[in-house]
Amino acid sequence: MLTLRGLSKSYGGTRPRAVLRGIELHVARGEYVAIMGESGVGKSTLLNLIAGLDTPDSGTVSLDGTGVTTLDDDARTLLRRDRMGFVFQAFHLLPHLTVAQNVALPLSLAGTPRSQTKRRVGDMLAAVGLADAAASRPRELSGGEMQRAAIARALVHQPLLLLADEPTGNLDADSAAQVLALLREQVKRESGAGIIVTHSAAAAATADRVLVLTANGLRPRRAS
Amino acid sequence: MNADKINFLKRRRTLAWLTGLLVTPNASSQVTGQPSSVTSSLRHPVTPFAPVVPGYRLQFPQDEGSHPEFRLEWWYVTGWLEDAGRPLGFQVTFFRARPDLKHDNPSAFAPRQIMIAHAALSDPAHGKLLHAQRAARAGFELAGAEQGRTRVWVDDWLIEQLGRYYRARLSARDFQLDLAFVPTQPPLLQGENGLSRKGPAQESASYYYSLPQLKVSGMLARDGKQRQVAGSAWLDHEWSSQYMEQDAVGWDWVGINLDDGSALMAFRMRDRQGGSYWAGGALRRADGIARVFAPDEIRFTPRRTWRSPRTGADYPVSWTVKAGDLEIAIEPLFDDQEHDTRRSTGTIYWEGAARAFVEGKPAGRGYLELTGYWRRPNL
Amino acid sequence: MTAVAHVLVAGAFRENAGRTLLAIIAIALGVALGVAVHLVNSSAVNEFGIAARHLAGEADLVVRGPRAGFDEALYPRIARLPQVTAINPSVEAEVPRYGHKESLKIIGMDLMRAADVQPALLPERTGLTLESFDADAILLSPAAARWLGVKAGDNLTLQVGTRPVALKVIGLLPEGSYRQRIGVMDVASAQWRLARLGRLDRMDLKLKSGVDVESFRRELQTMLPPGVHATTPDTEARRGASLSRAYRLNLEMLALIALFTGAFLVFSSQVLALLRRRTQLALMRVLGVTRRHLAAWLAAEGAAIGVLGAALGVGLGYELARYAVTFVGADLGAGYFRSVEIGLTADPRTLAFFFLLGVLFAVLGATAPALEAAYRPPARALRAGDEEEGPGKPGTAYWGLAAAGAGALLARLPAIDGLPLAGYAAIGLILLGTVLLMPRLAAFSLACVPVPRAGVAAIGIAQIKATPRQTAIGIAAIVISFSLMVSMLIMVSSFRVSLEAWLGRMLPADLYLRAARSGETGFLTPEVQARIAATPGVGRVEFLRGQNLLLGPERPPVILLARPVTAGTADKVLPLNAPPLVPRPNEPPPVWVSEVAADLYGMRPGDKVRLPIGDRPLLYTVAGVWRDYARQGGAIAIDRELYIGITGDRLANDAAVWLASGVGPADVASALREHVGADESIEIATTREVRAASLALFDRTFAITYVIEFAAVLIGLFGVSVSFGAQALARRREFGVLRHVGMTRREVGAMLGSEGALTAGLGVAFGLAVGWMVSLILVDVVNRQSFHWSMEVHPPWPALAGLAALIVAAAALTAMWSGRAAMDDDVVRAVREDW
Repeated sequence: MLTLRGLSKSYGGTRPRAVLRGIELHVARGEYVAIMGESGVGKSTLLNLIAGLDTPDSGTVSLDGTGVTTLDDDARTLLRRDRMGFVFQAFHLLPHLTVAQNVALPLSLAGTPRSQTKRRVGDMLAAVGLADAAASRPRELSGGEMQRAAIARALVHQPLLLLADEPTGNLDADSAAQVLALLREQVKRESGAGIIVTHSAAAAATADRVLVLTANGLRPRRAS
Repeated sequence: MNADKINFLKRRRTLAWLTGLLVTPNASSQVTGQPSSVTSSLRHPVTPFAPVVPGYRLQFPQDEGSHPEFRLEWWYVTGWLEDAGRPLGFQVTFFRARPDLKHDNPSAFAPRQIMIAHAALSDPAHGKLLHAQRAARAGFELAGAEQGRTRVWVDDWLIEQLGRYYRARLSARDFQLDLAFVPTQPPLLQGENGLSRKGPAQESASYYYSLPQLKVSGMLARDGKQRQVAGSAWLDHEWSSQYMEQDAVGWDWVGINLDDGSALMAFRMRDRQGGSYWAGGALRRADGIARVFAPDEIRFTPRRTWRSPRTGADYPVSWTVKAGDLEIAIEPLFDDQEHDTRRSTGTIYWEGAARAFVEGKPAGRGYLELTGYWRRPNL
Repeated sequence: MTAVAHVLVAGAFRENAGRTLLAIIAIALGVALGVAVHLVNSSAVNEFGIAARHLAGEADLVVRGPRAGFDEALYPRIARLPQVTAINPSVEAEVPRYGHKESLKIIGMDLMRAADVQPALLPERTGLTLESFDADAILLSPAAARWLGVKAGDNLTLQVGTRPVALKVIGLLPEGSYRQRIGVMDVASAQWRLARLGRLDRMDLKLKSGVDVESFRRELQTMLPPGVHATTPDTEARRGASLSRAYRLNLEMLALIALFTGAFLVFSSQVLALLRRRTQLALMRVLGVTRRHLAAWLAAEGAAIGVLGAALGVGLGYELARYAVTFVGADLGAGYFRSVEIGLTADPRTLAFFFLLGVLFAVLGATAPALEAAYRPPARALRAGDEEEGPGKPGTAYWGLAAAGAGALLARLPAIDGLPLAGYAAIGLILLGTVLLMPRLAAFSLACVPVPRAGVAAIGIAQIKATPRQTAIGIAAIVISFSLMVSMLIMVSSFRVSLEAWLGRMLPADLYLRAARSGETGFLTPEVQARIAATPGVGRVEFLRGQNLLLGPERPPVILLARPVTAGTADKVLPLNAPPLVPRPNEPPPVWVSEVAADLYGMRPGDKVRLPIGDRPLLYTVAGVWRDYARQGGAIAIDRELYIGITGDRLANDAAVWLASGVGPADVASALREHVGADESIEIATTREVRAASLALFDRTFAITYVIEFAAVLIGLFGVSVSFGAQALARRREFGVLRHVGMTRREVGAMLGSEGALTAGLGVAFGLAVGWMVSLILVDVVNRQSFHWSMEVHPPWPALAGLAALIVAAAALTAMWSGRAAMDDDVVRAVREDW
């Protein structure tokens, strides 16, 4: 469903360096993949390229047959809006909106009718266990709750692909475990596929398959 | 009295702007040697000035009053006062000038006649002149010259004839005077029965009489202190319409009340070389017999000069004056009686009280005037 | 500490260079306007005073009559008073230049007496010459000679009546002795040539030393005929400036408003800058910087902005003033000091005052946010997301209500010392109250704003609704500048519409003819009047005589207008405020006073007043009060027949001509010129031309007002854009999320645009309301107390609507633009930049 072929990206500057070189990846429908790697190896860059937030120097990204790399910025944005969901390490809920408003954002952007949005947001909040926090502001929530709300927002529009970038990095162990379980469950239920980028072994362990990003490319993790 | 008179007035009795009032700018620039910055024009007087003609008989007291039809007229009192035993010179003068108006302006302010008053005090203790001046157009009863008797005034300054005597009253910043003058002798007619020639030209003349040997008494106030004073004085009254002849550059004049009751007036006009260009004078003895001198009978010989520390001008302040047979030495009351009026007229002259000596003995007191000795540096 | 200071201050400047620069410019602009207006005003007034004092020379007292002067017989009576040591009688008049529009002030004095009283007005060195006393001789001040383009020896033709009077410039006054334009003549020549035989206008008196000037002045006043006053030269100097006092205050107030908006800009930019640096500041606190120090350093940022801006402003203001004096005129176009030549005098104390004012305003603007930032618990500030929360709580509404209420009360107070100080204070308090109330008002009104169902705007509006405190700052910036703009527009429009209506009432005829445009010696003789009346094509003609009366030594003269008025139908020819009162047969004859005269001298309809018309003062009945926008010193109208009966003065200044039917104004105008005579200088204008000229004059008067107002508005808009810009920067991470979530750049822009439009829309709505209130105070309090004239309120709706739309659009665009600037490549990274 998601296919990366020969993806390379380097950054200029005083010390030009190749971050990604010849990345090949295929993620099948229903699959939940973890990508691990050391800091600075290019995990975030890889996510940006997949999400169409950045363009590769060479290689292609195709999602469900659509060549992401061939689209212009607006088309990539629309693709993101309709087909992708994001979960960030720092949650990034909009502080001035309520939890429900935050979760409703993607539907709101897609112009989904209000009644449908309301129902769907209610379902999602119930699914992540925040039904009674719908009217709260993000700052009133704990870290785990904020990330659960972020997961609801990422999946409310049933995207083809969910991208999670170190989703437990800001959480304590208990909350992290809860969130990871929830994320897997929801990805499986609401989304076509999911990619979680992390360097937490515990987080990676929740995935179907674990890949390691090194300077030489993406390799399956050797069983150890 | 003719043109010289006016020049004489100009230099000698100095009022700033009087210069311009009486002569056209061209004339003034010729006389002062200074180009005038104002433009000039040919002037046609609205009404002509009266001429000085031979044969006129002076009438008293009518002729003691003003003669408004003439261009220029003055009443000039000079004299000596005893102030607590110290001698002082004083001078009180009123000029009447009739400007050469171009228009017959119906305004009550039209300057048909201009009155100018001038006063100076010579105090040896002060070391130089104290002086003051006033001027105004005649009119509104604030300034004027009466006809028929002597009464000339500018504001509260005045000389007035009151029956047998004259009164002069004025108040300046530095001094106030209120003096009575009582004549002891009849008027002395100068020149030919009061017609005084000032140059070779026939029309260069004035009407001129003097009242010498006036007894003075009255009040002098200085520094806020009033004092009774007494002394003797000399009054000149002269009027004319003529300008001075161009050849004269200066003027020496002396008027002396001699102790024996006689009175001497002598003057000479100097030419550019410093020689006598014209001269005149009269001596009247106490017995009333007067002698009028021809120009060649008057001789002025300087004896000593004084250099002004301020201007550098050399004034012959001491003289031997010969009038006919009489030879008289003139010595100033003090040297520095220089009158600096550069600020107003651009002229400086010397005018002051002087003593007369005959054969080395004090013989009388009077006034000496020296004009045309100061030369402005070439610009 | 220095290291910390370096981090804080230098960092702030480097980081927010653009915004800081904008704040500096705003303060500079406010200070510059204040300095420029004050310098020009004070220099003009100073020059006015110097001119009046120089004219009086060494005089202790000046005796002055109305335009008709006084009998010259008064002169010797006063001259003979024992207390008077010197006196100079003078004729004084503004004399039109023949064939030109301008007029020259001429003083015809006794040139001989002048030596004792006003020696500076005599020619230099050469002294007076006989020529000075020629009837056609005139001396000019160097300024007058330059202005007229003449030199000694040239001819100068002036106008008296409708005829030319040829004078000759015989010389100039010494350079520097009298700086203004003036011509000096001898009193006799002036009396004759200026048709003032037997009359004098002023006498300058020097008193004996030791005479008490004030008690002698009172004694002297009892000897003077009514309408002739003895004043000190100081009073003379003040009186010259008194007419323009209110106008000058108005301009300085406007300049202060510009400075105030500048301070607001500093405030809003600091609020948002500190908001953005909150975590950084919290870190400082954690590292051990005390609150006091932090607050002091942050306030110092404001002070630095203030110092830079104020220094820049002082320099700029001085240059502006120089430019204004050179190219606009000392009165800034208002016509108060027409013939004054100004030397710009920059009192260092004044400059220092404005400098400090600029610094003070900047520090005040920076202090509140600095305190807020310094006293915020660092732990909270360090928490992610906190920087997006606005400072402060909505706070109590009491202070705002109290300020606005106090303002409303102050607006009811009368003028203080002839100036509408309470009115200005009221406006200030109402604006302050509005700012204080704004968080509450914003929260309340935002709660009422419906959220669209979906889409980009919904997110934007939800965002705005969720941040009322922050939004309040943006709204307040717009309210302040827009309300000022609205109030000025309403005031000016009300004035202009009222003026147009008034001109309609005052100009009922078809043609207007006058002897001269300016000056005091133009008039139409009875012969000329007869010729005008007999001109073919003239249906009806009314003649008007303008003189003036001195009703008080401290006040400018009141204009006396003698024109045909019938008591019963006075409202037909004068714009009376109430139906005319007809005096009963045993009552004194009627006069009608203008609002200004009524206010200044406390005259009410029905009052019996004694007026020095003619040489004997008589009683008159005030039969009505009329609106008059033309004569700021006040005017009194009287029937011309009555006037002629009292004074014997049959001259006229103006003629109103109604055309006979069937003839055109152009034909009649040329027939009039022909009939009156080729040499006679008359000016003929159609009603339309007179109207147009009056309105042009009005517009010129308000031109400088517009300029200053424009500056204030500009600064206000800066404030708005700064606030949006800073918000956009603070919201970079949010934009990043939105971009991730799938918003296009355009959509983010549209969202910001809708936020900007909503903010500006609210600001404009509140601004309109506040501006309306302020305009009522301007019209009914400030204007009435400053200039004593009434007017109806006429809001210029189309202009207001257009302006409102413009501001909303500008705000939306600014918001979008600032969002775009904040949304460059690294928004994506902003999302990842976690700590």
